[in-house]
Amino acid sequence: MVSQAALEIEFGALSDTGRVRENNEDSFRLAPELNLFVVCDGMGGQASGEVASQLAAETIVAHCRDAETNPVLPLVGERIDGVSQAANRLASAVRLANRSVHQAAQQNEAQTGMGATVVAAQFMDERVTIAHVGDSRAYRLRNGELEPLTQDHSFIAEQVRHGLMTAEEASQSKLQNVLLRALGIEPDVEVEVSEELLMEGDTVLLCSDGLTHELSDEQIAAALCDAEETQEAASHLVELANQAGGGDNITVIVLRHAPKFSGAMARIGRWFKGS
Amino acid sequence: MSKLVLKFENAILTEVAVGAKEVSIGRSPDNGLVIDNPAVSHYHARVFNEEGRLMLEDFGSMNGTFVNGQRVKMVSLKPGDSVVIGKHSILISDSREVSNPFPTNSGAKAAPKINETVMLDTKERREFLQKVAGAGESAQVAPSRVKVATLIVRKGKTDQHEYTLSNKLTVIGKSALATVKLKAWFAPKAAAQINRRDDNSYYIGGADKVPTINGQPVIHPTKLSPGDVIAVAGVELEFIYRE
Repeated sequence: MVSQAALEIEFGALSDTGRVRENNEDSFRLAPELNLFVVCDGMGGQASGEVASQLAAETIVAHCRDAETNPVLPLVGERIDGVSQAANRLASAVRLANRSVHQAAQQNEAQTGMGATVVAAQFMDERVTIAHVGDSRAYRLRNGELEPLTQDHSFIAEQVRHGLMTAEEASQSKLQNVLLRALGIEPDVEVEVSEELLMEGDTVLLCSDGLTHELSDEQIAAALCDAEETQEAASHLVELANQAGGGDNITVIVLRHAPKFSGAMARIGRWFKGS
Repeated sequence: MSKLVLKFENAILTEVAVGAKEVSIGRSPDNGLVIDNPAVSHYHARVFNEEGRLMLEDFGSMNGTFVNGQRVKMVSLKPGDSVVIGKHSILISDSREVSNPFPTNSGAKAAPKINETVMLDTKERREFLQKVAGAGESAQVAPSRVKVATLIVRKGKTDQHEYTLSNKLTVIGKSALATVKLKAWFAPKAAAQINRRDDNSYYIGGADKVPTINGQPVIHPTKLSPGDVIAVAGVELEFIYRE
């Protein structure tokens, strides 16, 4: 309880249609009472992408909220070994979102083939759990260094992982948008879950591919470093992606683990660490 | 300019242009075109330009190099020729267009609109995943052996002599979360972290401290290989796999 209370997450978020598309098929949800944050990027014709991404994000938050009030709520799908209960709950929520979108797509002809990608982050006990499916991404900024926390489930990324393509070749490929996994396509989906240590001052970025197709890691890192506040960082990132072309919908959530110490306490802390 | 298009069955794996400099082909990572398969020799063959012609020379490889079905030692190549090495084929191409890896029967998906996200269908996806796994088969572990990633404490004060890395996140430090518990008085709460990814590879990254691997500071999360020695916050840990 103590660590939970001590965990202070400052957040800022923005979603934008961009400069080319007519609809915004991205969705995001902020549930600070659960320390839960979700970005979804929808796909499918006739505005069904919006339906898919909203339904997915909504379902994930609802399932985690249910679990909060009902500790014996069963997990959807199989338990993953080697991760916390919270991580298993988040994976369960993403699997449920997959089922919801899949069912909705089956039941309504106009929504056939709709789907969504997702990246969700939940903070707990100095840790952050990341769950993702598809090519929405999470990054961490620590001491000015931007690190990816997710690997895309895409045609290109899979080839890079197997050493069949270099990162440079991948960045020039015309097949950036071909996914291997997404929510809603099949009755079940494999969810990738990771847990990350959270340090004071760490920034976590969740984003749709509309950001990462327009901006380099260096540009993203600079924008995150420059902003004083998380909302300012989110707005600035969206602005930069639009300036770079805004070819797709752009959604960002910027999360910062605020330092607990300030002033004299921080100096004493640093002195003890010997730096 | 000619291009070598490496294929495994119908999947295009990579493309390499042949300019003034020759392209060596083989299993060793220092080749210009690497084919990571046991049927391929470390330095198998080379392709080079000579007097305006594109030439192929086999370096006396164990399993041979075949052009249009014939085993060859030295031949000239023309666009459209297919060079077969082991299970892989290399298509000779002189166009500069990006090749399309989609089978022709999925015409609708072959040219996605700009920025339109599409999904490979189940069958295509399964075939693709099998192909990439097959292409990297020599790098994979025999499935019958279970290997357990382990840290052995070589130096410094910790609560155990050895740790099994069974969790996706392993923290090295004094924190309640830490698996590798540091005992020294001024040890940081979280000195470093090791992440297990879904492909069962392990990556180390810094937290309160910058760890080193074999003496090299870890600036970005770095993949661990068996025998690597991690030094951080006064302890030294060797990464190995136990069977």
